[in-house]
Amino acid sequence: MPLLREVQTTFVGAMLGGDAAPAAEYVAVDGLLPEARLQIYRHHVVSSLTAALQATYPVVARLVGDGFFRYAAHEFIGARPPAGPCLFEYGEALGDFLAAFPPCRELSYLSDVARLEWSLNVATHADEFVPLDPANLRHLGADDAEALTFRFDPSVSFVASSWPIDAIWRANQPGADPDRTVDLDAGGVRLEIRRVGDDVVFRGLEPAAYAFRRSLLAGRSLAGALTTAQAEDEAFDLTEALRALFEDNVLSGFRLAPVRKENSS
Amino acid sequence: MPSRERDDLRAAAGIGLRSVHVAEVIATRPAVPWFEVHAENYMAPGGPALRALERIRESYPVAMHAVGLSLGSADPLDARHLRRLRALVDRIQPVLVSDHLSWSTLGGVYVNHLLPLPYTAETLHLVCDHVAQAQDALGRRLLVENPSSYLSFRESPIPEPAFLAEVVRRTGCGLLCDVNNIRVTSVNLGLDPIAYVDALPTGAIEEFHLAGHSVNDADGVTVLIDDHGARVAPEVWALYDYALSRSGPRPTLVEWDSEIPALSVLLEEARHAGALMDSSVAGERHAVAS
Repeated sequence: MPLLREVQTTFVGAMLGGDAAPAAEYVAVDGLLPEARLQIYRHHVVSSLTAALQATYPVVARLVGDGFFRYAAHEFIGARPPAGPCLFEYGEALGDFLAAFPPCRELSYLSDVARLEWSLNVATHADEFVPLDPANLRHLGADDAEALTFRFDPSVSFVASSWPIDAIWRANQPGADPDRTVDLDAGGVRLEIRRVGDDVVFRGLEPAAYAFRRSLLAGRSLAGALTTAQAEDEAFDLTEALRALFEDNVLSGFRLAPVRKENSS
Repeated sequence: MPSRERDDLRAAAGIGLRSVHVAEVIATRPAVPWFEVHAENYMAPGGPALRALERIRESYPVAMHAVGLSLGSADPLDARHLRRLRALVDRIQPVLVSDHLSWSTLGGVYVNHLLPLPYTAETLHLVCDHVAQAQDALGRRLLVENPSSYLSFRESPIPEPAFLAEVVRRTGCGLLCDVNNIRVTSVNLGLDPIAYVDALPTGAIEEFHLAGHSVNDADGVTVLIDDHGARVAPEVWALYDYALSRSGPRPTLVEWDSEIPALSVLLEEARHAGALMDSSVAGERHAVAS
């Protein structure tokens, strides 16, 4: 008998759409042919992973139709199989995959809808958190803006698109009015996605507010995020933006980095 | 977990907790002795599913059935996955923890299936090492389940029940005896299911699984597919009854994973399993008395 590793290497190949012949060499011949027996396993691998992707990407599946989704999922599974056994973590790369997938290149909003659905999935499974009490920041002053960074509700993420992906998503929910059409020329959106209680929600933000929050989430200082926001809107109001952050209960903590002085010798 | 709770499960038939039934379970608190969950569905840091499981755990014993340890993989066990399972076990305090005699991970790729193993001395050594490591990491006994198979290997000299018996002997693990899997494997590979049960170390069986399968025709050959998508088949009930006569009553679980019916159907199946357990206990007493 060859080493187990050699047998398993051929099986992984056969399961992910490669040549089944090397694996079949190891299989006992009895009644049904080895290739047909391997095909039973392969069928389950592809259909169960397709179902997992469909559960994470129901709107994408609906937009392209069941048959095409199965085809795209089949190609995706072969190219990007799961790295681990928690299937709620599988499929982050589907948006990028679809953007480069020649058969649906003309549906240019599809990959952005996929990114929105991935964000919804991440928010569903994110950790719980305790909102930051603004009273904890009372001792801070304007001088601290360079050093102040925030931690967010772990379910929060941001997705921007040049298509109205929020309207596309809503029009493709179960129970949505089938006669309602989406105006694809309505322009783009900047969305904040998070979980509130048991519900995952998203909403559109103005360009400056989006830039501000997204910069903070990425770890930029309050001063840095302000600069980014003002690049979108010179009249951006920092006080109002901070008030909204606390009103939305979107922050979970803050950090005051040690002050780095230039030429401190 | 207090051993008292495990003792209470001894002659009780539970059901697999499926997401479509969770709200109904929380709202109606059905009279079911215990639930089993798939561990990998609850390994997220948070979210409504995990919160609901914690609520259900307050009222019911919960067993944890894993699919991701890949005990038969030629690669080392995934240390991160083991840590996540340990964290979930610490959080939920399940009464039983199990995984399969199979493999699904190699080279950082997870193939979403319980893939078959050639039963050789090399595999036996590897599986025993992995079971022992998993038990150390979890700080408790692991139950190992017999898989359903659609192929056997040209070179696989150790029969599956003998292989399982040796894993039990070397590692002290328990057995999760899936009666439906014995039926499926026996038909697909031409084995005698009664002889299979007879060859198992029945004293190590700590849990039974029951489920439905589908019957298919592949090029004129009957193939049973373990799809957990139907009621338990009559032949499986009969084999379960036979296994009970060998092992005595054990916690028994009715699994249903595709085409999931109303909760009441699962409860009916579990009641039938419970009745078979009761009559096997009565038969035992009768045998002792006569």
